Amino acid sequence: MKQIQMTNTSFFSLISTRKIIQMNDVSTSYDSKNFALDHVNLSIDRGTNYAIVGQSGSGKSTLLKLMNGMMIPSNGTIKIDYTTPNMKDKKFKKMMHVIGYIPQNLGLIKNLTVLENVLIGSLPRLGKIQSMFKKFPEDEISEAKKIIKQVGLSGKEDRKAYMLSGGEKRRVAIARAFMQKPTILLADEIVSELDHVTAREIMDLIADAQKRINLTAIMVHHDMQLALEYANRVAVIKEGHKVLEIGVEGDKIVDFQTGDMTTEEIMEMYSDDSKK
Amino acid sequence: MTPKNNIIIGIIIALLVVASYNVEANPIEFIEGLPNLGIVLEEMLLVELKHIPTALWAMLETIQMAFIGTIVGVAIALPLSLLAARNLNSKYVYAPIRALLAAIRTFPSILWAILFVIMVGLGPFAGVLAIIMYTVGFVAKLQYEAIETIDADPMDAVSSIGVSKWQLIRYVVIPESASHLLGQVLYMFDYNVRQTSILGLVGAGGIGFYIINYIKFFEYGKAAIFMVVVLITVLIIDWASVKIRDRYIVKSQHGMEVTTKPK
Repeated sequence: MKQIQMTNTSFFSLISTRKIIQMNDVSTSYDSKNFALDHVNLSIDRGTNYAIVGQSGSGKSTLLKLMNGMMIPSNGTIKIDYTTPNMKDKKFKKMMHVIGYIPQNLGLIKNLTVLENVLIGSLPRLGKIQSMFKKFPEDEISEAKKIIKQVGLSGKEDRKAYMLSGGEKRRVAIARAFMQKPTILLADEIVSELDHVTAREIMDLIADAQKRINLTAIMVHHDMQLALEYANRVAVIKEGHKVLEIGVEGDKIVDFQTGDMTTEEIMEMYSDDSKK
Repeated sequence: MTPKNNIIIGIIIALLVVASYNVEANPIEFIEGLPNLGIVLEEMLLVELKHIPTALWAMLETIQMAFIGTIVGVAIALPLSLLAARNLNSKYVYAPIRALLAAIRTFPSILWAILFVIMVGLGPFAGVLAIIMYTVGFVAKLQYEAIETIDADPMDAVSSIGVSKWQLIRYVVIPESASHLLGQVLYMFDYNVRQTSILGLVGAGGIGFYIINYIKFFEYGKAAIFMVVVLITVLIIDWASVKIRDRYIVKSQHGMEVTTKPK
């Protein structure tokens, strides 16, 4: 567990000049009565490993769906690289291929092989006829095999997705996202059901990729300790509100005091998780 | 049993009695008629084995009719099912396609057979056309329902990459619903073999043509040979379907390891 040192650091002194994701006063709801997110503000720097932590139903997954344009906010504005995310918008559709999205249940095609699942990441670069007949160019196939090797699945290229273990499935989903050559990775609780060792192996994979390419990873967790271990910054969401945003610098945790709760209160709230 | 359940059961029994009275369903008549079945069965035992080659040949014709009808029917049903799925199209596309499919399903295959006998004349071709129509109506419905129940996660994950609609269909919808489709093809073929066996009633070819003619002339012994051939064929197809289902459907749907080489 990282040592908590409360520092009253200026918010603006820590952020870089280039924001890749900006959410201002965002609210959205699944029905007319209850808000899934209520007036949330987020500002994410390029290259950050950003964690969103919260309990089930707090609105974490909704945040990711808003970022990749699958949902539209009922109030407020969102900008991804200066573009408003909306799957139906042509301008945003052109940049969707650089946003890797891994849903909670991974979204693998169970009857396709590992290689085919990974190659799906290259579909936006493929012509209509080629994709209709599954004719992937040689360079894409060798790139996919290289990524499969990087995620530790060498020799399993021809296995059907349904034959894989939980950890292996997560590696395939990550490989598919990497195949997109993303600048942003959105991952929804992809390590929550894994054992301690496998969860860290998966997190290391993403951390390694971040070092190689200037990837901005936004990962939803319910385990605060895991989030603090890997993230540069952690936002805590509770019942649709951002209750805290903290920065992680080495062993220090910097409270940005942008939410309604203090770091100590949050640590107490997640003490059970942190003991895991 | 709660009082509410008792009332529901009471209503069902009352409806059963009223409906039975309206359709003149009398169990006593059934019991009194049983000896007549004995006479038929007795005559059926007077089988003439020399008709076996003819029966097998007629069965082969029936299987071929069912095979063509199933394959062509499924080939037509597939694109229609993609157009009829609510999660892939707007209501202006899926609503008319669904209405068309519902209209096709309104007629049982025997009525389609009568229509096609009038159109193309007596013989197996009319039967094949009838089977195609029936298969289109049912497989398209079963398939668009299967497409609509595909997990949202693979659809979301692949859509969010920014793929085209056709790429989404090619790489998510078809592979994810393939196991359902294989199950439906097997079921339809099994069903069509049995269906084709009775299309002979209206002169649309197949083994049913022989069965109905022998029954008309009270030659139950000859009819029995043909009926036994149908029974054995249906049992074989059923056995083969189970094997194929186990091998390709059950395991892929439940994530079980599949042995690729026989032990």
